[in-house]
Amino acid sequence: MSQDELDPVIHVPARLRIVVTLATLPDGNNLSFTRLQDVIGLTPGNLITHLRKLEEAGYVTTVKSGSGVTARTAVSLTQDGRAALDRYTTVLRQLLDSATPSVPGQG
Amino acid sequence: MNENSRSGEGTDMDVQQAAAIIEESGERARRALYVRRPVLFGIWGLAFLVCYGACWLSVLGQRPYTGPTPAALLTLTIVVAAAYAATVVLVGRAGMGVGGRSALQRRIMLMAYFCAYVGLFVLEAALDHAGASRAVLGVYGAAAPLLLAGVVAAAASALALDWWLFGLGIWLLVLAAGSGWAGPVNVWAVDALAVSLALLALAAIGFRRSRA
Repeated sequence: MSQDELDPVIHVPARLRIVVTLATLPDGNNLSFTRLQDVIGLTPGNLITHLRKLEEAGYVTTVKSGSGVTARTAVSLTQDGRAALDRYTTVLRQLLDSATPSVPGQG
Repeated sequence: MNENSRSGEGTDMDVQQAAAIIEESGERARRALYVRRPVLFGIWGLAFLVCYGACWLSVLGQRPYTGPTPAALLTLTIVVAAAYAATVVLVGRAGMGVGGRSALQRRIMLMAYFCAYVGLFVLEAALDHAGASRAVLGVYGAAAPLLLAGVVAAAASALALDWWLFGLGIWLLVLAAGSGWAGPVNVWAVDALAVSLALLALAAIGFRRSRA
């Protein structure tokens, strides 16, 4: 992937939603699987599939703790994931700017 | 929107759609995962107005000064308990499922605030025991909680890098230090108005900014 291409791992609606949602939390925080599902509105199966892809890319980590009714899966964005989202938004902005026709007499 | 399109895998997404998703998802996450400060400011602004206002009305015209009446103190207790319960619900709802550093910071801050508040009452009892007059205890009872709240707000602003919260903290500290000069009766009125107006103004500014 070159510097001016959109990261294909993130450039999927559901994964973009996941990464943006996790990025709203400050560094060092995590979100439970069920709350993430609730905020984004994906089915558990879909969410697991997308999280696995993001995890393979090193963009998120999932940590399971407890068992039974106290079981919790914590999902957090990694430094690489945050950096990837920053790169993605930079490239996206450049693409949007280049797609916007310039208006004579402005800028 | 069906499940496949919702999952997004295999669908084409243009840059405008991607930008819209970033905007919409970020906004939705902030609404869901963060406490709505304007609501909290509004709740505590009204609570301060009712509590301190009730205390002021109860001490108005007292000769000699004996302090807030039991009815005013009962009003204060009920209103503070209700405002605290509302705060716990709002903070708990936003923090549900959120773990890590922020949750730990919030717990430490609450513990510190609780210990300091208990300390205020213990110190007031010590002043009473040492023979402080009703007037001195009245000024202390009205102003000391503001000193504590001001320090907490200013310290929390450093964690959140929030200049509005820092401004509120400094305002509370100024009031705590200055309102006592109004005397044991009028300290309640000065604090009731100055604190509640500041909190309600912050609530109004916050609501306006969130709608912009």
